Amino acid sequence: MSNKLRTLILDDESIVCKRLKPALEKSGYEVETFDNPTDALKRIDQEEFDIVVTDIRMDEIDGIQVLEHVLARSSRTRVIIITGYATVEMAREALAKGAFDFIAKPFKPNDLRAVIAKAAKELKSEK
Amino acid sequence: MKTNRQNDGNDDAILKDSPYFLSENTDVKTALLKDDSETKILRALLERPGFSIRARLALGFLLFFALSVGITITAYIALNHMERKLIFLEVADLFTNEIQQARRYEKNFFLYGSDISNVLEHIDIADQLLDSARSELVSVVGEKNMRTMESHLSKYKKLVIKINTLSIDQESSELPEYKEIAEELRSHGTEMLSFAIDMSRKERDKVNDMIRVAKMAPVVFSIIIFLLMLYETNFLARHIIRRLNRLMEATQRVANGDFTPIMPHRRFRDEFTNLAVAMNSMMSQLMHRHEILVRSHKLRAVGTLTAGVAHELNNPINNIMLTSEMLKEDYSELSDEERLDMVSDLVSQAERARKIVSNLLDFARESEIEPELLDVGQIIRETLALVGNQLKLHNVKPQLDIAHNLSPVHGDKQHLSQVFFNLIMNAIDAMPEGGKLIINVSNSSFEASFLEVRISDTGKGIPEHLIGSIFDPFFTTKPTGKGTGLGLSVSMGIIRKHGGAIRVESKVGEGTSFSILLPISTVPAEIMHEKSQKNGE
Ligand SMILES: Nc1ncnc2c1ncn2[C@@H]1O[C@H](COP(=O)(O)OP(=O)(O)O)[C@@H](O)[C@H]1O
Ligand SMILES: [Mg+2]
Repeated sequence: MSNKLRTLILDDESIVCKRLKPALEKSGYEVETFDNPTDALKRIDQEEFDIVVTDIRMDEIDGIQVLEHVLARSSRTRVIIITGYATVEMAREALAKGAFDFIAKPFKPNDLRAVIAKAAKELKSEK
Repeated sequence: MKTNRQNDGNDDAILKDSPYFLSENTDVKTALLKDDSETKILRALLERPGFSIRARLALGFLLFFALSVGITITAYIALNHMERKLIFLEVADLFTNEIQQARRYEKNFFLYGSDISNVLEHIDIADQLLDSARSELVSVVGEKNMRTMESHLSKYKKLVIKINTLSIDQESSELPEYKEIAEELRSHGTEMLSFAIDMSRKERDKVNDMIRVAKMAPVVFSIIIFLLMLYETNFLARHIIRRLNRLMEATQRVANGDFTPIMPHRRFRDEFTNLAVAMNSMMSQLMHRHEILVRSHKLRAVGTLTAGVAHELNNPINNIMLTSEMLKEDYSELSDEERLDMVSDLVSQAERARKIVSNLLDFARESEIEPELLDVGQIIRETLALVGNQLKLHNVKPQLDIAHNLSPVHGDKQHLSQVFFNLIMNAIDAMPEGGKLIINVSNSSFEASFLEVRISDTGKGIPEHLIGSIFDPFFTTKPTGKGTGLGLSVSMGIIRKHGGAIRVESKVGEGTSFSILLPISTVPAEIMHEKSQKNGE
């Protein structure tokens, strides 16, 4: 296996997944994308990811639940929350519950790359 | 239309002063339409001939007065009549007495040959009696009877004088002529006496009759007065109370949000007409206020939606941003196919954003009520899309069930959409922990020719003692700033205008279900279309 950081992206907007996958792969990450939280949680149970990027508001399961699930499985995983205009409260809650950072929609690929790079740096220094 | 323009200055001013005055043109137009029918009703109310309650009362009492005067005059005349009869009876008694006296002397004269001048003395007194009371007597017994009486008396008197002269000669009593005279005298005497007695008996009977009648009269009079009073009271009471009831019904209607003016019902105008006119003007004022309220409520709804819509817009904008950035970044490395995919994503996401915005604008737009044939299912779908974000935020799962063979409804799309919006927002508010929102659209099962939209939630429900008040304007159980208490009252007003009804069923802890019944349009679509075109002209 390579020493690339394993990244999971979860957003029920499929275009977000479609665009972020090549964007992040270009930056040297191993990327898996899901537009369905149930499938994503299954995958998380199978494999430990270094970084999880999740939308905070989805139909069946919200980002907070994903956050809790990920941290329960592996506390070193960095979770980045994608928030929207009306979900600032939830984002604050997510931070309190151990999220690494949040990024507000709408954002540019470089914005996310910057946050992920910060997380990667932290992960590296931990090792 | 144009001719009415000058008397509308007032209403325009009221609307313009209000902070909610939004779209000038449409409001002026509806105000014009309204005022046209209002002035018509006003004219109809006032153009009736006037017959005030005051006049009616005065007329009633005048009738009483006339009746009393009539009865007083009759009583006066009757008593006068009776008085004369009593005088007559007195005279008749005296007269009879004198005649009886005279006849007694006459008898003595024939039997014992006593002095006949005694007879004359009494006859003279009787004669004087007749003379002195002649006019009264004539008025009582009549000229003819009086004449007969007088002729009897004078004949009798002549005969007495004749017999007196004859009786100076002692032997004359043997003469046949003497006997003849005596016979005649006797017969006249008897006749005169019986006539007098007969007359006075008859008159006495009459007087007795009159007394009997006089005794009855007050009783009868009281009864008549009593009946008249009963009629008058009843008439006035009915008259006034019925009017009051009508006005009361009108206020009841107003309380329920129906502002149709009071129409003239009776032939005459009276004091109540002024009240009706005043109430009509009050109702038109209330209607203006109500419209302002409806508008302000809608503005709040738009405010609530805007927050959600802003959030909802983030998704397509985010998609556009990511896609366009990546397109820019990798432009030269991408295959044509990939580029095309990205560009179509851009187009579809821009379209998505446009739809979100136009949906909100459609909802917010102020327009005249424009009835058209509507697909209620479609309106529900659009409204649900509009509140989609609110549903997600509050963790409410919608479940939509729209029947296939739905009949069209004749109505105003925006207003109906506002009603559904209000009910859905209430449902969301009732489920702070999230829950299910179930919307059924079907042809009504209990009322044929009605379409039923059922909006149910699994929220906290409405306590029984509050169910009666939820449709009242300003009734709210929500904290200030959150609830206005106008949603249901505005909705009720809109549905009533569409000829429909709202029903509510609720169980505390289980949920609430609002049913909206809307009359199905039976008019074919083409005719409706023609109609609306004509109206547009
Ligand atoms: N679906 C519902 N579930 C429970 N209560 C409701 C529901 N809909 C309306 N209500 C009650 O009716 C009241 C009046 O509603 P409304 O007229 O829409 O005003 P508001 O929503 O501003 O309070 C609400 O405050 C609430 O108590
Ligand atoms: Mg409400």
